[in-house]
Amino acid sequence: MNTKQSIAGAGLAIGLGLVAIASVIGFETMQMRVPPSYARVGPQIFPYIIAIGMALAGGFIAWKSYRGGDDVIDDVEPTDWKNVGIIVLGLIVHMNLLRPLGFVPAGLVLFMSVAFAFGSRRYGRDAIVGFLLVLFAYIGFTYGLGLQLPPGILKGLL
Amino acid sequence: MESFLSLMDGFATALTPINLMWSLVGVTLGTLIGILPGIGPALTIALLLPVTRTLDPTGAFIMFAGLYYGAMYGSSTTSILLNTPGESGSIMTAIEGNLMARQGRGAAALATAAIGSFVAGTLGTLALTFLAPLFVKLALLFGPAEYFSLMVLAFTTVSVLLGASKSRGLAALFLGLAFGLVGTDILTGQPRLVFGYPSLLRGIDIVVVAVGLFAVGEALFMASQARLRSAEILPIKGSLFMTREEWRRSWKPWLRGAGIGFPFGALPAGGTEIPTFLSYFLEKKLTKHPEEFGRGAIEGVAGPEAANNAAVAGVLVPLLALGLPTSATAAILLAAFEQYNLQPGPLLFAGNSTLVWGLIASLYIGNVMLLVLNLPLVGLWVRLLTIPQPLLYGGILIFSTLGVYSLSNSTFDLVLLFIVGFIGFLMRRHEFPVAPCIIGLILGPFAEAHFRRALSISQGDPSVFFTHPLSASLLALAAAVIIVPIILRRTRYA
Repeated sequence: MNTKQSIAGAGLAIGLGLVAIASVIGFETMQMRVPPSYARVGPQIFPYIIAIGMALAGGFIAWKSYRGGDDVIDDVEPTDWKNVGIIVLGLIVHMNLLRPLGFVPAGLVLFMSVAFAFGSRRYGRDAIVGFLLVLFAYIGFTYGLGLQLPPGILKGLL
Repeated sequence: MESFLSLMDGFATALTPINLMWSLVGVTLGTLIGILPGIGPALTIALLLPVTRTLDPTGAFIMFAGLYYGAMYGSSTTSILLNTPGESGSIMTAIEGNLMARQGRGAAALATAAIGSFVAGTLGTLALTFLAPLFVKLALLFGPAEYFSLMVLAFTTVSVLLGASKSRGLAALFLGLAFGLVGTDILTGQPRLVFGYPSLLRGIDIVVVAVGLFAVGEALFMASQARLRSAEILPIKGSLFMTREEWRRSWKPWLRGAGIGFPFGALPAGGTEIPTFLSYFLEKKLTKHPEEFGRGAIEGVAGPEAANNAAVAGVLVPLLALGLPTSATAAILLAAFEQYNLQPGPLLFAGNSTLVWGLIASLYIGNVMLLVLNLPLVGLWVRLLTIPQPLLYGGILIFSTLGVYSLSNSTFDLVLLFIVGFIGFLMRRHEFPVAPCIIGLILGPFAEAHFRRALSISQGDPSVFFTHPLSASLLALAAAVIIVPIILRRTRYA
């Protein structure tokens, strides 16, 4: 499958995805129980308008991509999904480690994963820069601005 | 005259040491993030929202406005020396500016960009000073129906004029509007689209969406496109003092650029892309040196850069006088007003005149600071461009997750950030514009409030939107924005 075909396929998927989101919005809005005094100008009109608009836009995009008439994007470089996956993984690990291990280790993992995805293989440099950055951010934001970031395993040390 | 006296009061506010400091912080930070690729004013102000909650609003807005202006100055440097525009308003600058730098005339390109930004920024601020009070008088004529129709016009122009296609712009707009629906309905207290998650009852924070789309989405996209990451930094060559010939060729484009930029910024037409584009083609048409276009023509830098900065001043007119954002950054600024419980519009000018006029006066001062920061000191800023990309994007994501987590110390917000970030990546990959999404999210709840207020005044009769002359003409304009281009295309092919 060449790039153009895969982009057209993605356009079809995105268009249908928008229609799906629109249906969820419409369905959820239908489930709302509204007091009769608000029945005329209630909290449901706007969601319905938005759902219809989104379904129309999504349907149009899907239809155009299906017909192959979507010529706007034709020279997109092949997407490097491996790099996307590395950052995605870094973000997931970060949000799971933040509470148990603390801001500094979780941030360091995220920093390293992003640096790796952007092609850096100088692990030592990245680790040192990342550690200092996360440490200074932690100290600056907790002591300077009074934010409450989780200390985690470094509790007592910082 | 009235404006002049208010402006003098404003200078009294802006020239206090503390506010001068906020202005300096804003313009410095703005230049910094304007120069750094991958981080812009909308993202930065969004990240600053949680930490500025307790600040004095006047100081905070002086800083934000300085940051917005500063980002426009800084991004021209990146366009010229790196050929990757820092902001969308600098795309046109990158064309001729980078070619000039390649021919060893980088210094002249930087000089005409900085001085042009100063001239146009000051002219734009002057126009803002005298137009904003007039817009406020206009705003007094507006009832809920007119406000709603005005917002519909803003929604359609922003969606139709930005991005690769109309359907993409509208899809992005509706996505933003849908994000805005989530949470407790203000009027009835009923939960909407929360899917049983109590954390969603207070709605999706603008910071989560802005950071997700601008930082996470952008990082994922840049990581996926190896080709976009190899850029060559050109050294600054030549003299920063422009020659007589260069001055002669620059001043008219500056003035024309300011003339195009300001009205386009003030109209709900989506900020800086269109006026910079128009200015470029106007200069290309009017130049006495057509052979230089495509090989580094100074007019092609001077015009768009001036248009860019004047447009930013223009954007502030509807934002301050009507509460109507016409760019993504303006939408975030509207969220900042909300955070301080301030409502832009006639009430703001009447009740918080110190803030409004202090803010406007600070723009004159900020422009002077920016000229000094960006012309003699440009050599220092250029070193920022040598920060390796892996470290830069690593740092951006650290501050993004930190900012989002600190909103309410909840990992749930980080999950939302992740989801919105992935949506942002898909949008970037398939050329969906981000600005309509941000504007829809911020302005949607306001539009709904006006819509329902208008309908409850008319006791449910929807004809109010079409029988009030002002409202009807705004809606007619909105319809024309969508329909006219289609008709034009049909007749051309027929």
